[in-house]
Amino acid sequence: MSAATEFRTAPPPVGLRERAGRGKLGIVALILFVALVAALAIGARPGDYVALSTENSTPTGTRAVAQILRDHGVAVRQVDRLAQTRVADPAATTVVIAEPHLLTTGQLGSLVDYPGDLVLLGSSDESLEALGVPAREQIVGLPETAAAQCEDPDAIAAGSVRVDGWGLEALDDGSDLCFVQRGGLAAFARVDDGGRTVTVIASTALVTNDALAEHGHAALAVRALGRHPDVVWYVADGLDPSLLTWAGSGTDGEVPTEVEATPDFLPPGTGNAIYALALTALLAAFWQARRFGALVREPLPVVVRASEATRGRARLYRRARATGRAAASLRAAAALRMGRRIGVGRADGREALVSAVSRATGRTTSDIERLLYGPPPADDASLLTLISELDALESEVHRP
Amino acid sequence: MHITGWTVALAALGAIPAALAESRNVAWLWIIGVVALALLDVWMAPRTSRVGVRRQAPGAVRLSQSVRTTLDVANLGRRRVRGAVRDAWQPSAGAASTRHAFSLAPGEVQSFGTILRPTRRGDRQAGAVTVRTYGPLRLAGRQRSIEAPAHVRVLPEFASRRHLPSRLVQLREIDGRTAVRLKGAGSEFDSLREYVIGDDVRSIDWRGTARRGEVVVRTYRPERDRRVVIALDTARLSAARVGDAPRLDASIEATLLLGALASHAGDRVQATAFDRVERARAASSGPQLMAELADALATVEPSLLEPDWPALVRLVQSRVSQRSLVVLLTTVDTSAMDSGLIEAVAALQKRHQVLVGSVEDPELGAMLADRSDAEAAYGAGAAARAMLEREAAATRLRQLGAEVVLSLPDDLAPAVCDRYLALKAAGRL
Repeated sequence: MSAATEFRTAPPPVGLRERAGRGKLGIVALILFVALVAALAIGARPGDYVALSTENSTPTGTRAVAQILRDHGVAVRQVDRLAQTRVADPAATTVVIAEPHLLTTGQLGSLVDYPGDLVLLGSSDESLEALGVPAREQIVGLPETAAAQCEDPDAIAAGSVRVDGWGLEALDDGSDLCFVQRGGLAAFARVDDGGRTVTVIASTALVTNDALAEHGHAALAVRALGRHPDVVWYVADGLDPSLLTWAGSGTDGEVPTEVEATPDFLPPGTGNAIYALALTALLAAFWQARRFGALVREPLPVVVRASEATRGRARLYRRARATGRAAASLRAAAALRMGRRIGVGRADGREALVSAVSRATGRTTSDIERLLYGPPPADDASLLTLISELDALESEVHRP
Repeated sequence: MHITGWTVALAALGAIPAALAESRNVAWLWIIGVVALALLDVWMAPRTSRVGVRRQAPGAVRLSQSVRTTLDVANLGRRRVRGAVRDAWQPSAGAASTRHAFSLAPGEVQSFGTILRPTRRGDRQAGAVTVRTYGPLRLAGRQRSIEAPAHVRVLPEFASRRHLPSRLVQLREIDGRTAVRLKGAGSEFDSLREYVIGDDVRSIDWRGTARRGEVVVRTYRPERDRRVVIALDTARLSAARVGDAPRLDASIEATLLLGALASHAGDRVQATAFDRVERARAASSGPQLMAELADALATVEPSLLEPDWPALVRLVQSRVSQRSLVVLLTTVDTSAMDSGLIEAVAALQKRHQVLVGSVEDPELGAMLADRSDAEAAYGAGAAARAMLEREAAATRLRQLGAEVVLSLPDDLAPAVCDRYLALKAAGRL
């Protein structure tokens, strides 16, 4: 037998087929399959919970009104970004803006420039002022159902709606406001802004799935939103800075958002170099994470301090304020040590020890009697005093 | 597979073209190129199955000493292999440097030494040997671990052997070999020899003088060929730590020192480690005893069990038939009262002389002397209570006729030996 055969070598690597045979590959495949199914199931769930979105079927959404509009032959199209509106014919299109308080100043400007009809679901002081609605928004303190009380045909057709949430407070004679409750707050406003109409539904609850069927909500919503064969619906989210676009707007609606990452004082390409170094860091992580062989297990012994039991007993004494018990132990231990020193055994009794200690120290027997067999100390302070007195006595006995 | 630092360095160089081109795509292309090169290198690296390893570990080492184990690495293939090996050992084996780089021509064998300095008694196991081979570009390579079992038995330190010379001197004083010759209890008649000036005239043997025509004296020597049975308690109380080591370690030191001393004195020593069953045994005679003792006690570990004292009594009775010294290295505390230790000592004491050795806790003494605050006062009270309970148990054992030695861990071995010498001098073995 040659020396080389004593060497141990790595077994040949395990192939894919053997691993599959062992069932490991099957388990991995099963996990992947389950993960895929779970991802599809989660992805297929209705994910739109944005308030006032036409895809949202929960009570806060507006899917119901959108479907009613479609049933009446109105094409409702919701856009995620304002730039995607691309209104082909402003004269035949209603642009619906939900949550207008989240619009940027630039977006408001594009709304002002837009020639077609606008419907605001909700309101803000900035948007009302920019679009020429002479009103201010206020929180409705007294929600109530109000009648139209204006000449607008849509409002009259609706009859009455509930004023709730937010309302409009007139800044002029209030001739444009409808459904005014007792606090003077209106749910609805409509102004003619030279060639186009701006409609504000301040109490947005009335177009939601939840409340659409109540009072004259459905009538008001359908009449206000369905004036033209096309509706473009946009829910502002505060993250999209792009502008409203229409045929002839002369812009693609995009606002330059990217800030130049490289400041002027760094040479050009620094950002790309840092990018390359960040990729390198990933490789470095793999380089360092790959372990040179497995860790070796170390069976560790039990570590219990021998004094644990005594320390536990000390804590019990302290918690119970057992000064008597602690003092009795210390007295007995001191008596044992002194007795050994002066040759008095345990069996000799108390008197023998007291008189022997008295002889050894020159103290009176009553003093020693009190120290070794006196009443238990009442509190911590007298325990400490007793201990120091015992120490003094013991040192006198042990003095040569 | 694994990658080397060169791969990372090469990837870092990609920052320059990325900066010059001012393009992230260049950075991505560069990194993908580097990864592709590394993969190519892995593919071209020699297979790890072409590398053979062989471990050679010495049988035993004393704790606190260092030992060199060797790892032979052989190239079994037909290409030169560059790589590295890791000679993994358990952390308590105290391996100094475990990684070794190699470059082997076909058929070449290279030996590497790994210095072990174990920190714990017992069998220290080696882990797998991990082999890395590098590809021709040094960017990456293959890695596999090879099982190559090996172990080093770490014997007890026997730090108390420094006490042995002074005890051997005492032994010789009892023995007839020194100037002090005493006859009496504990010694037996050895031989007659010629009188020399300085010998005690009282030791002249007149009958022999009359028979031989010259003055002869009797010489005595201590009793020999006595039996000494050392029983170590490895049950739960031996696991408690006193200072830095469990109580069992102090017991092992005491066993080794007493074994060495008693075998020098000509007594027959046997040792047993015991909790509910016998864990280790050593019963050689003569010079092999110490090696066997150390080897047997090296792997003894405390077990968290109650000791079975009646079984120990039966074991001792079955091992020795004549009167012997039974040394119980255990823990004397209040639990001895109901664990059966007292009854066991009583049973053993009927036919043998029992010596009970117990490790005291220095922390208890510190607690007893602590006067810093009220909390310390309660600690002192609890320590005093523990001390009294132990004294009570020890007194009970002494009343049965047993010898009791209570010592701090470092003093247990010499204290037990001193008591053995005293017993021997008094002829009570």
